[in-house]
Amino acid sequence: MGYLGELFVMAMTAIFIQNFVLSRFLGLCPYLGVSKKLDSALGMGMAVIFVMTLASAITFLINKYLLLHFGLMYLQTIAFILTIAALVQFVEMVIQKNAPALYKSLGVFLPLITTNCAVLGVAILNTTAFRSDGTTAYNFFDSVLNGFFSGVGFTVVLLAMAGLRMRLEKADLPKSMQGMPIALILAGIMALAFYGFMGFKI
Amino acid sequence: MSFVKELSKGIIKDNPIFILVLGMCPTLAVTTSVINALGMGFAATFVLLCSNIIISLIKNITPSKIRIPVYIVVIASFVSIVDMVMAAYLPGLHKSLGLFIPLIVVNCIILGRAEAFASKNNVLLSIADAIGMGLGFTLSLSVIATIREILGAGTWLGIKITPLTYDPMLVAILAPGAFITLGFLMALMNMLKEKK
Amino acid sequence: MKYYIKLSLILLIFCAVASGILAYINTLTAPVIAQRKAKEEIATREALIPNANFTQAQTADGASYFVASNPETQEILGYTFIAAEIGYSSTVQTMVGVDKDFKVLGIKIIDQAETPGLGANCTNDNFTSQYAGMTIENLYVDKDGGAVIALSGATITSRCITNSIRNRIQAVKSDISAGGIQ
Repeated sequence: MGYLGELFVMAMTAIFIQNFVLSRFLGLCPYLGVSKKLDSALGMGMAVIFVMTLASAITFLINKYLLLHFGLMYLQTIAFILTIAALVQFVEMVIQKNAPALYKSLGVFLPLITTNCAVLGVAILNTTAFRSDGTTAYNFFDSVLNGFFSGVGFTVVLLAMAGLRMRLEKADLPKSMQGMPIALILAGIMALAFYGFMGFKI
Repeated sequence: MSFVKELSKGIIKDNPIFILVLGMCPTLAVTTSVINALGMGFAATFVLLCSNIIISLIKNITPSKIRIPVYIVVIASFVSIVDMVMAAYLPGLHKSLGLFIPLIVVNCIILGRAEAFASKNNVLLSIADAIGMGLGFTLSLSVIATIREILGAGTWLGIKITPLTYDPMLVAILAPGAFITLGFLMALMNMLKEKK
Repeated sequence: MKYYIKLSLILLIFCAVASGILAYINTLTAPVIAQRKAKEEIATREALIPNANFTQAQTADGASYFVASNPETQEILGYTFIAAEIGYSSTVQTMVGVDKDFKVLGIKIIDQAETPGLGANCTNDNFTSQYAGMTIENLYVDKDGGAVIALSGATITSRCITNSIRNRIQAVKSDISAGGIQ
Protein backbone atom coordinates (compact mmCIF):
# COMPACT_ATOMS: atom_id res chain seq x y z
CA MET A 1 0.00 0.00 0.00
CA GLY A 2 2.94 2.31 0.43
CA TYR A 3 4.01 3.83 3.69
CA LEU A 4 2.15 7.09 3.18
CA GLY A 5 -1.03 5.12 2.62
CA GLU A 6 -0.41 3.20 5.86
CA LEU A 7 -0.01 6.48 7.71
CA PHE A 8 -3.22 7.82 6.24
CA VAL A 9 -5.08 4.71 7.40
CA MET A 10 -3.51 5.07 10.84
CA ALA A 11 -4.50 8.73 11.10
CA MET A 12 -8.05 8.16 9.88
CA THR A 13 -8.47 5.24 12.26
CA ALA A 14 -7.12 7.04 15.31
CA ILE A 15 -9.05 10.24 14.71
CA PHE A 16 -12.32 9.12 13.15
CA ILE A 17 -12.96 5.41 12.68
CA GLN A 18 -11.84 4.33 16.14
CA ASN A 19 -11.66 7.63 17.95
CA PHE A 20 -9.76 7.29 21.18
CA VAL A 21 -12.43 8.89 23.34
CA LEU A 22 -15.72 8.09 21.63
CA SER A 23 -14.90 4.60 20.46
CA ARG A 24 -12.16 3.26 22.68
CA PHE A 25 -13.26 5.03 25.89
CA LEU A 26 -9.75 6.26 26.64
CA GLY A 27 -9.09 9.70 28.06
CA LEU A 28 -12.52 10.18 29.54
CA CYS A 29 -11.72 11.85 32.87
CA PRO A 30 -10.10 14.94 31.33
CA TYR A 31 -12.64 14.82 28.51
CA LEU A 32 -15.50 15.18 30.95
CA GLY A 33 -13.61 17.42 33.35
CA VAL A 34 -11.66 19.91 31.27
CA SER A 35 -13.91 20.41 28.31
CA LYS A 36 -15.81 23.37 29.72
CA LYS A 37 -13.81 26.18 28.15
CA LEU A 38 -12.36 26.29 24.67
CA ASP A 39 -8.93 27.72 25.48
CA SER A 40 -8.14 25.47 28.43
CA ALA A 41 -9.33 22.56 26.29
CA LEU A 42 -6.87 23.56 23.59
CA GLY A 43 -3.99 23.86 26.06
CA MET A 44 -4.85 20.48 27.55
CA GLY A 45 -5.12 18.93 24.11
CA MET A 46 -1.70 20.19 23.07
CA ALA A 47 -0.12 18.92 26.26
CA VAL A 48 -1.73 15.51 25.81
CA ILE A 49 -0.59 15.24 22.17
CA PHE A 50 2.93 16.06 23.26
CA VAL A 51 2.96 13.55 26.12
CA MET A 52 1.32 10.81 24.04
CA THR A 53 3.82 11.20 21.23
CA LEU A 54 6.86 11.19 23.50
CA ALA A 55 5.44 8.38 25.65
CA SER A 56 4.85 6.25 22.56
CA ALA A 57 8.45 6.75 21.51
CA ILE A 58 10.03 5.97 24.86
CA THR A 59 7.77 3.05 25.78
CA PHE A 60 8.32 1.47 22.37
CA LEU A 61 12.07 1.53 22.91
CA ILE A 62 11.75 0.21 26.45
CA ASN A 63 9.42 -2.53 25.27
CA LYS A 64 11.59 -3.62 22.37
CA TYR A 65 15.09 -3.38 23.83
CA LEU A 66 14.44 -4.07 27.48
CA LEU A 67 11.24 -6.00 28.09
CA LEU A 68 11.12 -8.23 25.01
CA HIS A 69 14.88 -8.69 24.90
CA PHE A 70 15.12 -9.99 28.45
CA GLY A 71 11.74 -11.69 28.57
CA LEU A 72 10.35 -9.30 31.15
CA MET A 73 6.92 -8.73 29.63
CA TYR A 74 5.24 -9.06 33.02
CA LEU A 75 6.98 -5.80 34.04
CA GLN A 76 5.34 -3.91 31.20
CA THR A 77 2.65 -2.20 33.29
CA ILE A 78 5.11 -0.98 35.95
CA ALA A 79 7.73 0.09 33.43
CA PHE A 80 5.27 1.97 31.23
CA ILE A 81 3.43 3.82 33.98
CA LEU A 82 6.65 4.88 35.72
CA THR A 83 7.99 6.13 32.40
CA ILE A 84 4.84 8.13 31.81
CA ALA A 85 4.89 9.56 35.35
CA ALA A 86 8.51 10.65 34.89
CA LEU A 87 7.71 12.10 31.46
CA VAL A 88 4.79 14.14 32.79
CA GLN A 89 6.91 15.41 35.67
CA PHE A 90 9.55 16.48 33.16
CA VAL A 91 7.01 18.17 30.88
CA GLU A 92 5.56 19.96 33.91
CA MET A 93 8.97 21.38 34.81
CA VAL A 94 9.61 22.50 31.24
CA ILE A 95 6.23 24.23 30.90
CA GLN A 96 6.59 25.86 34.30
CA LYS A 97 9.88 27.38 33.25
CA ASN A 98 9.07 28.38 29.68
CA ALA A 99 5.33 29.08 29.61
CA PRO A 100 4.18 30.05 33.10
CA ALA A 101 0.84 31.37 31.85
CA LEU A 102 0.00 28.02 30.30
CA TYR A 103 1.19 26.30 33.46
CA LYS A 104 -1.20 28.33 35.58
CA SER A 105 -4.19 27.81 33.29
CA LEU A 106 -3.69 24.03 33.17
CA GLY A 107 -3.36 23.92 36.93
CA VAL A 108 -3.89 20.52 38.49
CA PHE A 109 -4.80 18.91 35.17
CA LEU A 110 -1.17 18.75 34.06
CA PRO A 111 0.01 16.15 36.59
CA LEU A 112 -3.32 14.38 36.01
CA ILE A 113 -2.15 13.54 32.49
CA THR A 114 -0.26 10.71 34.19
CA THR A 115 -3.53 9.01 35.03
CA ASN A 116 -5.03 9.74 31.63
CA CYS A 117 -5.99 6.31 30.29
CA ALA A 118 -5.23 7.53 26.78
CA VAL A 119 -1.49 7.82 27.41
CA LEU A 120 -0.98 4.39 28.97
CA GLY A 121 -3.58 3.07 26.57
CA VAL A 122 -1.77 4.13 23.42
CA ALA A 123 1.55 2.88 24.81
CA ILE A 124 0.12 -0.60 25.34
CA LEU A 125 -1.87 -0.56 22.09
CA ASN A 126 1.29 0.21 20.14
CA THR A 127 2.89 -2.99 21.40
CA THR A 128 0.06 -5.15 20.08
CA ALA A 129 -0.93 -3.23 16.96
CA PHE A 130 -0.59 -4.52 13.43
CA ARG A 131 -0.47 -2.75 10.12
CA SER A 132 -3.28 -3.26 7.66
CA ASP A 133 -1.88 -6.58 6.41
CA GLY A 134 -2.63 -8.07 9.80
CA THR A 135 0.83 -9.45 10.48
CA THR A 136 3.45 -6.68 10.49
CA ALA A 137 3.81 -5.23 13.97
CA TYR A 138 4.34 -1.50 14.44
CA ASN A 139 7.91 -0.25 14.24
CA PHE A 140 9.27 2.82 16.03
CA PHE A 141 7.91 5.38 13.58
CA ASP A 142 4.51 3.69 13.42
CA SER A 143 4.26 3.85 17.20
CA VAL A 144 5.30 7.48 17.49
CA LEU A 145 2.94 8.56 14.74
CA ASN A 146 0.11 6.51 16.17
CA GLY A 147 0.70 8.24 19.51
CA PHE A 148 0.56 11.59 17.75
CA PHE A 149 -2.61 10.84 15.78
CA SER A 150 -4.35 9.36 18.80
CA GLY A 151 -3.58 12.55 20.69
CA VAL A 152 -5.00 14.56 17.81
CA GLY A 153 -8.14 12.40 17.88
CA PHE A 154 -8.50 13.12 21.59
CA THR A 155 -7.99 16.85 21.07
CA VAL A 156 -10.43 17.09 18.16
CA VAL A 157 -13.20 15.57 20.24
CA LEU A 158 -12.20 17.59 23.31
CA LEU A 159 -12.46 20.87 21.37
CA ALA A 160 -15.79 19.89 19.83
CA MET A 161 -17.11 19.05 23.28
CA ALA A 162 -15.83 22.32 24.76
CA GLY A 163 -17.52 24.37 22.06
CA LEU A 164 -20.79 22.51 22.55
CA ARG A 165 -20.68 22.80 26.34
CA MET A 166 -20.09 26.53 26.15
CA ARG A 167 -23.37 26.76 24.25
CA LEU A 168 -25.04 24.47 26.77
CA GLU A 169 -24.36 26.97 29.57
CA LYS A 170 -27.06 29.13 28.10
CA ALA A 171 -29.56 26.32 27.64
CA ASP A 172 -32.49 25.85 29.94
CA LEU A 173 -32.07 22.40 31.45
CA PRO A 174 -33.80 20.58 34.30
CA LYS A 175 -31.63 20.80 37.41
CA SER A 176 -30.82 17.09 37.57
CA MET A 177 -29.57 17.11 34.00
CA GLN A 178 -27.13 19.96 34.46
CA GLY A 179 -23.42 19.30 34.45
CA MET A 180 -22.29 15.71 34.08
CA PRO A 181 -25.50 14.06 32.79
CA ILE A 182 -25.98 16.33 29.82
CA ALA A 183 -22.26 16.17 29.04
CA LEU A 184 -22.48 12.39 28.89
CA ILE A 185 -25.58 12.41 26.71
CA LEU A 186 -23.87 14.90 24.43
CA ALA A 187 -20.86 12.59 24.24
CA GLY A 188 -23.21 9.76 23.39
CA ILE A 189 -24.70 11.68 20.49
CA MET A 190 -21.22 12.56 19.28
CA ALA A 191 -20.25 8.89 19.51
CA LEU A 192 -23.33 8.07 17.47
CA ALA A 193 -22.27 10.62 14.86
CA PHE A 194 -18.76 9.18 14.73
CA TYR A 195 -20.33 5.77 14.14
CA GLY A 196 -21.02 7.04 10.65
CA PHE A 197 -17.32 6.59 9.99
CA MET A 198 -17.57 2.91 10.80
CA GLY A 199 -18.27 1.78 7.28
CA PHE A 200 -14.96 3.19 6.09
CA LYS A 201 -12.39 0.52 5.41
CA ILE A 202 -9.56 2.12 3.52
CA MET B 1 -18.32 1.45 64.57
CA SER B 2 -15.92 3.53 62.55
CA PHE B 3 -15.05 0.47 60.47
CA VAL B 4 -18.64 0.08 59.36
CA LYS B 5 -18.96 3.77 58.64
CA GLU B 6 -15.93 3.77 56.35
CA LEU B 7 -17.24 0.65 54.67
CA SER B 8 -20.71 1.95 53.94
CA LYS B 9 -19.74 5.39 52.69
CA GLY B 10 -18.24 3.93 49.54
CA ILE B 11 -21.52 2.39 48.53
CA ILE B 12 -23.87 5.37 48.47
CA LYS B 13 -22.63 8.60 49.99
CA ASP B 14 -19.22 8.65 48.31
CA ASN B 15 -20.01 6.31 45.45
CA PRO B 16 -16.93 6.46 43.20
CA ILE B 17 -18.80 6.44 39.90
CA PHE B 18 -21.94 8.47 40.50
CA ILE B 19 -20.79 10.90 43.19
CA LEU B 20 -17.03 11.21 42.89
CA VAL B 21 -17.10 10.68 39.09
CA LEU B 22 -13.87 8.69 39.07
CA GLY B 23 -12.90 5.70 36.98
CA MET B 24 -14.99 6.69 33.98
CA CYS B 25 -12.96 4.84 31.34
CA PRO B 26 -13.57 1.29 32.60
CA THR B 27 -17.15 2.23 33.56
CA LEU B 28 -18.12 2.87 29.98
CA ALA B 29 -15.97 0.19 28.44
CA VAL B 30 -16.66 -2.94 30.47
CA THR B 31 -20.36 -2.50 31.20
CA THR B 32 -21.40 -4.28 28.00
CA SER B 33 -22.26 -7.34 30.06
CA VAL B 34 -22.82 -8.03 33.73
CA ILE B 35 -20.14 -10.72 33.78
CA ASN B 36 -17.53 -8.26 32.50
CA ALA B 37 -18.70 -5.65 35.00
CA LEU B 38 -18.41 -8.08 37.91
CA GLY B 39 -15.02 -9.26 36.70
CA MET B 40 -13.66 -5.75 36.45
CA GLY B 41 -15.27 -4.78 39.75
CA PHE B 42 -13.66 -7.63 41.64
CA ALA B 43 -10.29 -7.13 39.95
CA ALA B 44 -10.29 -3.44 40.84
CA THR B 45 -11.50 -4.15 44.38
CA PHE B 46 -8.70 -6.67 44.85
CA VAL B 47 -6.10 -4.16 43.66
CA LEU B 48 -7.65 -1.41 45.78
CA LEU B 49 -7.69 -3.60 48.89
CA CYS B 50 -4.10 -4.83 48.53
CA SER B 51 -2.66 -1.45 47.66
CA ASN B 52 -4.57 0.29 50.47
CA ILE B 53 -3.17 -2.25 52.94
CA ILE B 54 0.42 -1.96 51.73
CA ILE B 55 0.36 1.83 51.42
CA SER B 56 -1.12 2.16 54.89
CA LEU B 57 1.59 -0.14 56.23
CA ILE B 58 4.46 1.75 54.63
CA LYS B 59 3.07 5.24 55.09
CA ASN B 60 5.63 6.06 57.76
CA ILE B 61 8.69 4.92 55.86
CA THR B 62 7.74 6.53 52.54
CA PRO B 63 9.41 9.91 52.02
CA SER B 64 6.72 12.39 51.11
CA LYS B 65 8.49 13.67 48.01
CA ILE B 66 8.44 10.32 46.23
CA ARG B 67 5.15 9.03 47.61
CA ILE B 68 3.25 9.21 44.32
CA PRO B 69 5.81 7.13 42.37
CA VAL B 70 5.90 4.65 45.27
CA TYR B 71 2.10 4.35 45.27
CA ILE B 72 2.24 3.85 41.52
CA VAL B 73 4.77 1.02 41.89
CA VAL B 74 2.62 -0.67 44.53
CA ILE B 75 -0.60 -0.34 42.54
CA ALA B 76 1.06 -1.37 39.27
CA SER B 77 2.48 -4.47 40.93
CA PHE B 78 -0.91 -5.67 42.10
CA VAL B 79 -2.41 -4.87 38.71
CA SER B 80 0.29 -6.98 37.05
CA ILE B 81 -0.43 -9.83 39.48
CA VAL B 82 -4.15 -9.67 38.67
CA ASP B 83 -3.29 -9.58 34.96
CA MET B 84 -1.09 -12.68 35.14
CA VAL B 85 -3.46 -14.67 37.35
CA MET B 86 -6.45 -13.83 35.14
CA ALA B 87 -4.55 -14.76 31.98
CA ALA B 88 -3.72 -18.12 33.51
CA TYR B 89 -6.98 -19.07 35.23
CA LEU B 90 -9.75 -16.90 33.74
CA PRO B 91 -8.76 -16.58 30.06
CA GLY B 92 -12.27 -15.74 28.80
CA LEU B 93 -12.66 -12.81 31.20
CA HIS B 94 -9.08 -11.75 30.55
CA LYS B 95 -9.82 -11.56 26.83
CA SER B 96 -13.07 -9.59 27.28
CA LEU B 97 -11.57 -7.03 29.65
CA GLY B 98 -8.44 -6.81 27.50
CA LEU B 99 -6.68 -3.46 27.64
CA PHE B 100 -8.66 -2.35 30.69
CA ILE B 101 -6.92 -4.75 33.06
CA PRO B 102 -3.57 -2.95 32.90
CA LEU B 103 -5.52 0.32 32.80
CA ILE B 104 -6.70 -0.40 36.36
CA VAL B 105 -3.40 1.18 37.38
CA VAL B 106 -4.56 4.59 36.15
CA ASN B 107 -8.03 4.16 37.56
CA CYS B 108 -8.32 7.39 39.52
CA ILE B 109 -10.26 5.59 42.25
CA ILE B 110 -7.27 3.55 43.38
CA LEU B 111 -4.63 6.26 43.31
CA GLY B 112 -7.19 8.66 44.73
CA ARG B 113 -7.97 6.48 47.75
CA ALA B 114 -4.28 5.81 48.31
CA GLU B 115 -3.50 9.51 48.45
CA ALA B 116 -6.65 10.66 50.25
CA PHE B 117 -7.13 7.86 52.75
CA ALA B 118 -4.66 5.02 53.02
CA SER B 119 -1.68 7.30 53.42
CA LYS B 120 -3.31 8.95 56.40
CA ASN B 121 -5.14 6.18 58.23
CA ASN B 122 -4.36 2.87 59.87
CA VAL B 123 -4.57 -0.50 58.15
CA LEU B 124 -7.95 -1.55 59.51
CA LEU B 125 -9.74 1.62 58.38
CA SER B 126 -7.93 1.46 55.04
CA ILE B 127 -9.29 -2.04 54.55
CA ALA B 128 -12.81 -0.81 55.29
CA ASP B 129 -12.38 2.09 52.88
CA ALA B 130 -11.11 -0.22 50.15
CA ILE B 131 -13.90 -2.75 50.54
CA GLY B 132 -16.51 0.00 50.66
CA MET B 133 -15.23 1.80 47.59
CA GLY B 134 -14.68 -1.47 45.75
CA LEU B 135 -18.19 -2.67 46.52
CA GLY B 136 -19.65 0.67 45.47
CA PHE B 137 -17.69 0.52 42.24
CA THR B 138 -18.69 -3.09 41.52
CA LEU B 139 -22.36 -2.52 42.34
CA SER B 140 -22.53 0.62 40.20
CA LEU B 141 -20.84 -1.15 37.31
CA SER B 142 -23.32 -4.02 37.63
CA VAL B 143 -26.32 -1.69 37.62
CA ILE B 144 -25.12 0.02 34.45
CA ALA B 145 -24.23 -3.32 32.87
CA THR B 146 -27.60 -4.81 33.75
CA ILE B 147 -29.40 -2.01 31.92
CA ARG B 148 -27.08 -2.19 28.91
CA GLU B 149 -27.05 -5.96 28.64
CA ILE B 150 -30.82 -6.41 28.95
CA LEU B 151 -31.59 -3.62 26.51
CA GLY B 152 -28.78 -4.35 24.09
CA ALA B 153 -28.57 -8.14 24.05
CA GLY B 154 -31.67 -9.37 25.84
CA THR B 155 -29.61 -11.37 28.29
CA TRP B 156 -28.48 -11.08 31.90
CA LEU B 157 -25.32 -12.86 32.98
CA GLY B 158 -25.44 -14.46 29.55
CA ILE B 159 -28.87 -15.99 30.05
CA LYS B 160 -31.60 -14.88 27.69
CA ILE B 161 -34.38 -13.31 29.72
CA THR B 162 -36.36 -11.25 27.25
CA PRO B 163 -39.23 -12.67 25.20
CA LEU B 164 -38.21 -14.00 21.81
CA THR B 165 -40.03 -11.21 20.04
CA TYR B 166 -37.76 -8.59 21.61
CA ASP B 167 -35.25 -7.32 19.08
CA PRO B 168 -32.31 -6.07 21.11
CA MET B 169 -31.43 -2.40 20.94
CA LEU B 170 -27.89 -2.90 19.72
CA VAL B 171 -26.83 0.66 20.41
CA ALA B 172 -27.07 0.01 24.15
CA ILE B 173 -24.00 -2.20 24.12
CA LEU B 174 -22.12 0.00 21.70
CA ALA B 175 -20.24 3.17 22.56
CA PRO B 176 -23.07 5.72 22.22
CA GLY B 177 -25.32 3.63 24.42
CA ALA B 178 -22.68 3.63 27.13
CA PHE B 179 -22.56 7.40 27.35
CA ILE B 180 -26.30 7.89 27.14
CA THR B 181 -27.11 5.21 29.74
CA LEU B 182 -24.63 6.67 32.19
CA GLY B 183 -25.92 10.18 31.51
CA PHE B 184 -29.48 9.25 32.37
CA LEU B 185 -28.41 7.29 35.44
CA MET B 186 -26.45 10.28 36.71
CA ALA B 187 -29.45 12.51 36.16
CA LEU B 188 -31.48 10.00 38.18
CA MET B 189 -28.90 10.11 40.99
CA ASN B 190 -29.07 13.90 40.97
CA MET B 191 -32.85 13.77 41.25
CA LEU B 192 -32.61 11.36 44.19
CA LYS B 193 -30.03 13.60 45.86
CA GLU B 194 -32.36 16.57 45.54
CA LYS B 195 -35.30 14.73 47.07
CA LYS B 196 -33.22 13.89 50.17
CA MET C 1 22.22 16.24 46.21
CA LYS C 2 22.72 13.43 48.70
CA TYR C 3 19.04 13.78 49.62
CA TYR C 4 17.94 13.13 46.03
CA ILE C 5 20.25 10.15 45.76
CA LYS C 6 18.72 8.76 48.93
CA LEU C 7 15.21 9.28 47.51
CA SER C 8 16.10 7.60 44.23
CA LEU C 9 17.62 4.69 46.11
CA ILE C 10 14.49 4.18 48.17
CA LEU C 11 12.37 4.24 45.02
CA LEU C 12 14.76 1.79 43.39
CA ILE C 13 14.43 -0.58 46.34
CA PHE C 14 10.65 -0.48 46.07
CA CYS C 15 10.89 -1.23 42.35
CA ALA C 16 13.32 -4.08 42.94
CA VAL C 17 11.08 -5.70 45.55
CA ALA C 18 8.05 -5.29 43.30
CA SER C 19 9.89 -6.73 40.30
CA GLY C 20 11.05 -9.69 42.35
CA ILE C 21 7.52 -10.52 43.47
CA LEU C 22 6.21 -10.18 39.92
CA ALA C 23 8.98 -12.37 38.55
CA TYR C 24 7.99 -15.06 41.02
CA ILE C 25 4.30 -14.88 40.09
CA ASN C 26 5.32 -14.98 36.45
CA THR C 27 7.15 -18.27 36.92
CA LEU C 28 3.96 -19.67 38.38
CA THR C 29 1.54 -18.43 35.74
CA ALA C 30 3.49 -18.35 32.48
CA PRO C 31 3.65 -22.13 32.07
CA VAL C 32 -0.08 -22.41 32.77
CA ILE C 33 -0.84 -19.88 30.07
CA ALA C 34 1.44 -21.49 27.52
CA GLN C 35 0.10 -24.96 28.25
CA ARG C 36 -3.51 -23.92 27.90
CA LYS C 37 -2.86 -22.25 24.54
CA ALA C 38 -1.13 -25.35 23.19
CA LYS C 39 -3.87 -27.64 24.47
CA GLU C 40 -6.57 -25.48 22.89
CA GLU C 41 -4.87 -25.47 19.52
CA ILE C 42 -4.42 -29.23 19.54
CA ALA C 43 -8.05 -29.74 20.55
CA THR C 44 -9.29 -27.47 17.78
CA ARG C 45 -7.11 -29.24 15.20
CA GLU C 46 -8.42 -32.62 16.27
CA ALA C 47 -12.01 -31.41 16.12
CA LEU C 48 -11.56 -30.24 12.53
CA ILE C 49 -9.89 -33.44 11.30
CA PRO C 50 -10.50 -36.28 13.74
CA ASN C 51 -8.39 -39.44 14.07
CA ALA C 52 -5.29 -38.07 12.39
CA ASN C 53 -1.60 -37.59 13.00
CA PHE C 54 -0.41 -34.04 12.55
CA THR C 55 2.99 -33.07 11.16
CA GLN C 56 4.09 -29.47 11.06
CA ALA C 57 5.24 -27.72 7.89
CA GLN C 58 5.94 -24.17 6.79
CA THR C 59 4.88 -22.02 3.88
CA ALA C 60 7.32 -19.67 2.16
CA ASP C 61 6.50 -16.75 4.45
CA GLY C 62 7.41 -18.72 7.55
CA ALA C 63 3.89 -19.32 8.82
CA SER C 64 3.20 -22.89 9.81
CA TYR C 65 0.50 -25.34 8.82
CA PHE C 66 -0.19 -28.96 9.70
CA VAL C 67 -0.51 -31.99 7.47
CA ALA C 68 -3.08 -34.45 8.76
CA SER C 69 -2.46 -38.06 7.83
CA ASN C 70 -4.14 -41.36 8.63
CA PRO C 71 -2.15 -42.94 11.49
CA GLU C 72 -2.15 -46.38 9.86
CA THR C 73 -1.93 -45.84 6.13
CA GLN C 74 -0.01 -42.51 6.20
CA GLU C 75 -2.46 -41.34 3.56
CA ILE C 76 -2.94 -37.57 3.63
CA LEU C 77 -6.38 -36.65 4.98
CA GLY C 78 -6.03 -32.90 4.73
CA TYR C 79 -4.42 -29.83 6.20
CA THR C 80 -5.05 -27.43 9.08
CA PHE C 81 -3.73 -23.90 9.41
CA ILE C 82 -4.45 -20.54 10.99
CA ALA C 83 -5.63 -17.70 8.78
CA ALA C 84 -5.26 -14.21 10.21
CA GLU C 85 -6.17 -10.78 8.98
CA ILE C 86 -7.13 -7.42 10.48
CA GLY C 87 -10.89 -7.14 10.66
CA TYR C 88 -12.61 -4.03 11.90
CA SER C 89 -11.11 -3.54 15.32
CA SER C 90 -8.82 -6.51 15.79
CA THR C 91 -6.92 -9.28 14.04
CA VAL C 92 -9.26 -12.20 13.52
CA GLN C 93 -7.58 -15.59 13.73
CA THR C 94 -9.38 -18.54 12.18
CA MET C 95 -8.29 -22.14 12.30
CA VAL C 96 -9.24 -23.87 9.05
CA GLY C 97 -9.39 -27.55 8.20
CA VAL C 98 -9.34 -28.56 4.54
CA ASP C 99 -9.35 -31.96 2.90
CA LYS C 100 -6.61 -33.12 0.55
CA ASP C 101 -8.32 -31.36 -2.39
CA PHE C 102 -8.37 -28.09 -0.46
CA LYS C 103 -12.09 -28.10 0.10
CA VAL C 104 -13.00 -26.60 3.47
CA LEU C 105 -13.99 -29.17 6.10
CA GLY C 106 -14.71 -26.63 8.79
CA ILE C 107 -13.48 -23.49 10.49
CA LYS C 108 -13.23 -22.20 14.02
CA ILE C 109 -12.64 -18.58 15.00
CA ILE C 110 -9.94 -18.77 17.65
CA ASP C 111 -9.21 -15.11 18.31
CA GLN C 112 -11.14 -11.91 17.70
CA ALA C 113 -12.11 -8.66 19.35
CA GLU C 114 -14.65 -7.30 16.88
CA THR C 115 -17.66 -5.15 17.71
CA PRO C 116 -19.96 -6.93 20.14
CA GLY C 117 -23.34 -7.67 18.59
CA LEU C 118 -22.03 -7.17 15.07
CA GLY C 119 -18.64 -8.51 13.99
CA ALA C 120 -18.27 -10.51 17.18
CA ASN C 121 -21.12 -12.75 16.01
CA CYS C 122 -18.61 -14.33 13.64
CA THR C 123 -18.02 -16.96 16.31
CA ASN C 124 -21.59 -18.21 16.02
CA ASP C 125 -22.14 -21.62 14.46
CA ASN C 126 -24.63 -20.40 11.91
CA PHE C 127 -21.93 -18.17 10.42
CA THR C 128 -18.97 -20.54 10.59
CA SER C 129 -20.83 -23.65 9.49
CA GLN C 130 -21.54 -22.19 6.05
CA TYR C 131 -17.84 -22.47 5.17
CA ALA C 132 -17.93 -26.26 5.12
CA GLY C 133 -17.72 -27.54 1.56
CA MET C 134 -16.42 -24.30 0.03
CA THR C 135 -13.47 -24.07 -2.30
CA ILE C 136 -11.21 -21.24 -3.41
CA GLU C 137 -13.57 -20.45 -6.28
CA ASN C 138 -16.57 -19.51 -4.14
CA LEU C 139 -14.69 -18.25 -1.06
CA TYR C 140 -15.81 -14.68 -1.48
CA VAL C 141 -18.37 -12.63 0.42
CA ASP C 142 -21.76 -12.48 -1.38
CA LYS C 143 -21.18 -8.79 -2.09
CA ASP C 144 -17.99 -9.76 -3.93
CA GLY C 145 -19.70 -12.47 -5.94
CA GLY C 146 -19.04 -15.47 -3.75
CA ALA C 147 -21.05 -17.91 -1.67
CA VAL C 148 -20.31 -16.61 1.81
CA ILE C 149 -23.29 -14.86 3.36
CA ALA C 150 -21.88 -11.91 5.29
CA LEU C 151 -22.97 -11.09 8.84
CA SER C 152 -25.56 -8.35 8.88
CA GLY C 153 -23.89 -5.05 9.70
CA ALA C 154 -20.46 -6.68 9.69
CA THR C 155 -19.36 -6.91 6.09
CA ILE C 156 -15.81 -5.89 6.96
CA THR C 157 -15.40 -8.65 9.52
CA SER C 158 -16.99 -11.25 7.21
CA ARG C 159 -14.86 -10.16 4.28
CA CYS C 160 -11.63 -10.26 6.25
CA ILE C 161 -12.32 -13.77 7.53
CA THR C 162 -13.29 -15.05 4.08
CA ASN C 163 -10.31 -13.45 2.36
CA SER C 164 -7.85 -14.64 4.99
CA ILE C 165 -9.08 -18.23 4.59
CA ARG C 166 -8.89 -18.07 0.81
CA ASN C 167 -5.42 -16.52 0.82
CA ARG C 168 -4.07 -19.05 3.26
CA ILE C 169 -5.49 -21.99 1.32
CA GLN C 170 -3.76 -20.53 -1.72
CA ALA C 171 -0.46 -20.27 0.13
CA VAL C 172 -0.59 -23.81 1.49
CA LYS C 173 -1.68 -25.13 -1.91
CA SER C 174 1.33 -23.51 -3.59
CA ASP C 175 3.64 -24.87 -0.98
CA ILE C 176 2.34 -28.41 -1.41
CA SER C 177 2.56 -28.33 -5.20
CA ALA C 178 6.05 -26.85 -4.95
CA GLY C 179 7.21 -29.89 -3.01
CA GLY C 180 5.96 -29.26 0.51
CA ILE C 181 7.32 -31.63 3.11
CA GLN C 182 7.46 -34.79 0.99
